[in-house]
Amino acid sequence: MSIHSGTIQSTQAKRSGFSKFLEYVRQNWILFFLGAPAVILIFLFSYIPMFGTVIAFEDYSPRTMFLSPFVGLRNFRILFETPLFGRLVRNTLLLNFMFIIATMFFSVMTALLLNEVRLTLFKRVNQSVMYLPFFMGWSIVAMVLYGLIDYQVGTVNSLLTRFGLDRVIITDNANLWPWILTIIRVWKGTGSGCIIYLAALTGIDPQLYEAAAIDGAGRWQRMLYVSLPGIIPIIILLVLLDIGRIFYGDIGMIYAVIGDRAQLFPTTDVIDTYILRALRSNSNYGFSAAAGLLQSVLGFICIFGSNLLVKKYSQMQGEDYSLF
Amino acid sequence: MIERRNFGNILFHAFNYTVLTLFALFCLLPFWIMVAASFTDDLALRQNGYLPWISKFSLEAFKWVLKGSEVRTGYMISIFVTVAGTICSLFVMSGLAYVMSLKRLKGRNKIAFYVFFVMIFVPGIVPWFVTCRNLLHLRDNVWALILPMMVQPFWVFVLRNFFATLPTEIMESAYIDGASDSTILFQIVLPLSTPVLATVGLFMAVAYWNDWFLGVMLLDFVSWRPLSVLILKMVSNVQAIQAAMKQPGVSINLGSLPTLGIRMATACITIGPIILVYPFVQRYFVKGLTLGAIKG
Repeated sequence: MSIHSGTIQSTQAKRSGFSKFLEYVRQNWILFFLGAPAVILIFLFSYIPMFGTVIAFEDYSPRTMFLSPFVGLRNFRILFETPLFGRLVRNTLLLNFMFIIATMFFSVMTALLLNEVRLTLFKRVNQSVMYLPFFMGWSIVAMVLYGLIDYQVGTVNSLLTRFGLDRVIITDNANLWPWILTIIRVWKGTGSGCIIYLAALTGIDPQLYEAAAIDGAGRWQRMLYVSLPGIIPIIILLVLLDIGRIFYGDIGMIYAVIGDRAQLFPTTDVIDTYILRALRSNSNYGFSAAAGLLQSVLGFICIFGSNLLVKKYSQMQGEDYSLF
Repeated sequence: MIERRNFGNILFHAFNYTVLTLFALFCLLPFWIMVAASFTDDLALRQNGYLPWISKFSLEAFKWVLKGSEVRTGYMISIFVTVAGTICSLFVMSGLAYVMSLKRLKGRNKIAFYVFFVMIFVPGIVPWFVTCRNLLHLRDNVWALILPMMVQPFWVFVLRNFFATLPTEIMESAYIDGASDSTILFQIVLPLSTPVLATVGLFMAVAYWNDWFLGVMLLDFVSWRPLSVLILKMVSNVQAIQAAMKQPGVSINLGSLPTLGIRMATACITIGPIILVYPFVQRYFVKGLTLGAIKG
């Protein structure tokens, strides 16, 4: 009897909890109406795929989708057995490393130099020109890039032949491509990257510059010994945040530029582009999903680790720039 | 500050201006090649290649591009996707951001975590692809180019942070006077937030205009493509044909290749709208990137 009444009580409690919720929804239905579209879209395009990563453990077929037969770790075993995965991871890390270093270097350099410019008009025009590449889509960048380096009609080779020199093969030389990708990355990202450093530079106490000038420091020295140390904290933070994303290949860029040109894969094929091609050729969903899941997990660990470092580091500076 | 005119300072400035000018030229060079090539006669291009100057002026490439129905449809699609996508995205994201900014709402931290988690655990492309195509049947449809990227968690947080800084007294007094939350959002919060809306809108618009990923992944059997996808297809077709020509015994109909001038002219008209609005949006661009560095 007592057990019976107990269950009744608990269901009543549950019901009242639920009806409280309903009451709350009824009172604030406009809020639900305002927030629901975004919540639903996030659920559809991020949370369902998140649960959908189970296909990494399945023998995928389009008819059964996420409920395909379970095969355990078979996809992962194939993944580790092929030499391919090592190459993909290596390319992803190497390319991202090159991008991080190069964009950081050029952004900091242009910010330091722009900070010393006293002609406002020059500064403004210069910045406008440097921001412009940011607005260009990667597909257009790819189009123009091949116009520059094509063997037959590319600008580089056309100019070389004009001066009586031999043509050079650029487009099919896989060893050159990590550098080419880095250059277009610098081209596209420096203007936008230097904005944040410029903002940090305006925060440096002008008295420091005056003191340095009185001590006899020239402009060059003031730039190197006052400006640069002033933005070192922000440089470290931004690099750490970038390292958090080091496992994610920039698919928007690399697939647009490299596309399906197999001769360039040894140095430029990253995890994301490999998965994209596998999907487009309708093959090996489980295998690609396994690669994707591994990437997500490694990426998650990296973001977490870098965030921890950011937190530690920025607390040392007396601030908190960490994401979470 | 006092500026001494000594040799070191002059050298420093000379170095400074030279490096910055060179870098600006490096940024401009591809645009220059692109514009020069699209105004050059096609025969001259085939003989001389893409040169940084116009050897023989011609408007044929532009005429041809604007006559072609594929590019014109592409333009319409790109414009529709960008305008509709940006507007919808601003409404949907600011709706959620407003809810998340309400201090009286219990559980807003749970919602914030729900939005935040997808920023740090990114599901792979494969399950995303299966969800879009097989589960939601989102393919060969113009909304396939809009819906998947409509809500960007990062910008939701930027909007929420901005809404949270607005003076709460106005909202509270409106609330006490009987204004509903939608009235407060649309008549008080959004009008006060035009700078941040412009910033977020700019970044969303650029993302929609330049996105080729959704078009490549989710469009199969349609005759229309957005401009960015058309250009990507052009690039890969040219490469495929060039690769095939290297093989012996393969004859290719070169007429199917877009001519050199036409390729660049298409690129030109694709960035046209961006260049047109560029002077007006620059300050929002700077604002957006500075926002990006502050804690989300």
